Amino acid sequence: MRADGVALSETNATEKRMRWGVPVAEVALVAAVWFSLQLAGSDPGATTRRPGTDVPVPAELPGFRSDAWLLPDEPLLGFVEIPSGPFTMGSDSAEDPLAYDVERWLATQPQGIVDVPTFYIGRYEVTVAQYAAFVRETGHVVVDPTALQAPPDHPVTGVAWTDAVAYTRWLERALASSATTPSALSELLRTGWRVALPSEAQWEKAARGGDGRVYPWGDDARQDRAVFGVRGTAPVGSVACPECSYGLADMSGNVWEWTRSPYQPYPYDEADDRAGLDTEALWVMRGGAFNDTAQNIRAAGRGGADPGARRPFIGFRLVITR
Amino acid sequence: MSAASRRRNPKSGDPSGRQQRSTVQDGGGAAPPSRNALYLPLALTGLLALLSFLPRVQANDRLTWSFWGAVVVLLAWQGLLSLRLGQSGQGRSLTTVLRPQHYVQATVQLAVFAYWGWYWRPVYDFAGLLLAQLAFAYAVDMLIQWSRRENYVLGFGPFPIIFSINLFLWFRDDWFYLQFLMVGIGFLGKEFVRWHREGRRVHIFNPSAFALGLFSLVLIATGTTDLTWGREIASTLTLAPYIYSYLFVLGLVVMYLFSITLVAGTAAAVLFGGSALYSAWAGVPYFVDSDIPAAVFLGLHLLITDPSTSPRTPPGKMVFGALYGAGVFALYWILGTAGAPTFYDKLLCVPLLNLSVRGIDAFIQQVKASPVWEGLRADWVFTRPNLAHMGVWIVLFGAMSALGKTDGTHQGDRLPFWVQSCEEGRRNACDRLMQLEATYCGDASAWACNELGAAYAEGQIAPPDAELASAYFARACELRFQAACVNLLDPGDIARSDPRVLDLRLMLREAGRNLMDEPEGEIFERACGHGWSFACERTASL
Repeated sequence: MRADGVALSETNATEKRMRWGVPVAEVALVAAVWFSLQLAGSDPGATTRRPGTDVPVPAELPGFRSDAWLLPDEPLLGFVEIPSGPFTMGSDSAEDPLAYDVERWLATQPQGIVDVPTFYIGRYEVTVAQYAAFVRETGHVVVDPTALQAPPDHPVTGVAWTDAVAYTRWLERALASSATTPSALSELLRTGWRVALPSEAQWEKAARGGDGRVYPWGDDARQDRAVFGVRGTAPVGSVACPECSYGLADMSGNVWEWTRSPYQPYPYDEADDRAGLDTEALWVMRGGAFNDTAQNIRAAGRGGADPGARRPFIGFRLVITR
Repeated sequence: MSAASRRRNPKSGDPSGRQQRSTVQDGGGAAPPSRNALYLPLALTGLLALLSFLPRVQANDRLTWSFWGAVVVLLAWQGLLSLRLGQSGQGRSLTTVLRPQHYVQATVQLAVFAYWGWYWRPVYDFAGLLLAQLAFAYAVDMLIQWSRRENYVLGFGPFPIIFSINLFLWFRDDWFYLQFLMVGIGFLGKEFVRWHREGRRVHIFNPSAFALGLFSLVLIATGTTDLTWGREIASTLTLAPYIYSYLFVLGLVVMYLFSITLVAGTAAAVLFGGSALYSAWAGVPYFVDSDIPAAVFLGLHLLITDPSTSPRTPPGKMVFGALYGAGVFALYWILGTAGAPTFYDKLLCVPLLNLSVRGIDAFIQQVKASPVWEGLRADWVFTRPNLAHMGVWIVLFGAMSALGKTDGTHQGDRLPFWVQSCEEGRRNACDRLMQLEATYCGDASAWACNELGAAYAEGQIAPPDAELASAYFARACELRFQAACVNLLDPGDIARSDPRVLDLRLMLREAGRNLMDEPEGEIFERACGHGWSFACERTASL
């Protein structure tokens, strides 16, 4: 027995317990933290995201295929062929008094002729339901929660250019690997065609056709042909436009649409896309939105936005292109 | 140890407080035992509850619940204790004992917070949460003591423990209940994990280092470092200019008063020496951007210098310091190799060192008893050995500073150096380059994100990973770096461009200087000095 009244055998026993106690406590602590993380449903250390199983995706949506990520129920899942050929790009302010200077081809020439090879473009803008299906399958982060809050058949908004590119990548893989993909589409993807955002030229050709019209339906603004000058988005394709080029819907109005073209001064040349890498990124969007005037929904109108911008009036549509 | 120094360096750790009372300022004798003593933890619990109404706490539901959870635990504990005391008719007493090693250490730590926070605002924003931890710590300490014995020794003891923990690790607001848990475990460890040393029953581990070490292990094991501010804390000390000199001067105060020079100085010497040797061998610095990371420099002054948990003999202190230096050196490599955050290096080895103290003491006794020691003993003896040790330390630190090994620019700060070293295939240079780029990418340097994306897309200096490459390109693109947007569209043909001015402002902050408001010309000049050749051309053209 020591002077302080503690038996040495008791001391040794305590120290033995301590020797085991520390590692046991550590294991218990690891388990406690892990368990609390599971309860909280958080995995902040993970570098990959889990698919978003809690994202609401409608089981059925009239006019869209529930077995094909809610793409349109059409032979090519809503993709429309735009045949190859030249079209007039840019604006001539003599014919279109609403034209902006940035739409002028050259100082000496108001418009240019651009030859665009065949491509396929989506008849409609990408919908909330389609984007939700992507988020649910991939776990892609929804930075702006309002992106998925609109009705499922409205165009998705609040998505950055980078989100739109991610969607194209996913859809390409999904279509290429799915047995439900129409054989014509499968064949295209098998032979090197890709799902992408439209280039600025592809978009403008699809919008105005080969006859250089100002709006997809003709040269005059018509409130009954597009969603513009109103307070919110409308379901895609909800405004009938029998005169519109190639039967496409909402090329004017509803939401601005991201393109894959960086904002460059005209004359347009796709080869310029890799030029000016030392400038701050600005990407072209087209078509105007529900809250715009007739001036901004013209087929030749050009908008530019920061690729990280997520706004309630910017969405996108797709092309299948070489 | 002389009688004088023994007076200045009172031994702590005796739970009864018997020995301390003879060597410290006693603010008054113990009041007669009474159940009224429990009003003190109750008041502290009330303070904690009040602090839960701070705007920062109220802004986050999980943080508010963390506070209220801590309050409920404390109230329940007090209720049980009060019930037990009521049944047994016992009371509890309080003795006030102010120990210099507590209040001096706390003052020095507070000075570090003040200076660091001046340059990194989250420290000041954290003040309310720090105060809450102090209230919680005092209450827990009292309740532990009064649950086991009659008297509680009230002093500044919890201050250095809380400050020391918070100089190295804070949990984010969403996970702040773990901070309270860490504090509680620190105090429980101090009370329950004890052994006999030199005839006294003392705590084995430095309480803050014990809690930090334990939680570091858990965070590494569960891959949850992101729950904490640990990474930011480790990297933002250098935002305060001349932080090494500042810590050095503060350290001198502690060294003078508590004779810790041999521990801290030896640890620093081993780290400086190890870094120099590695650098000479590999051609690149060992620690990426310094010879001793600032947080390690802080750790060797404040984490390992608790007299109760470190050796008392001068040779023992030297061995202890040397082992800390070697331990940090080894852990930095081990953690880096394992892909774990390397800033845990300074924390993980302290509990192991504490455990080895008795072994070190025994080893020193054996050495002292050997004829070799007799042969080595110098005939001259300093009357003030600590001052002599401090003199050597001052010369060593001065020499390291003169060689540019402390404050100021450092070879490892320069990204072009790492780019070139990687291209030349120097040891670990590509890994370090990617670590640096990951840090800068996290700081919103789009250039660094694009370079990381390129590395994963090309698969030359990192394993190819298309998904990771896309994620980095997307981040850089959203930060408006055009080349990254182009890469996101076509990762098969990688585009690169020079860093923008904003990227340079983020990547050139050696010695912590904030460059956000510097004129563009100065940024390019500084970038030129760092080895960015495009910046030299821009400087010439300006």
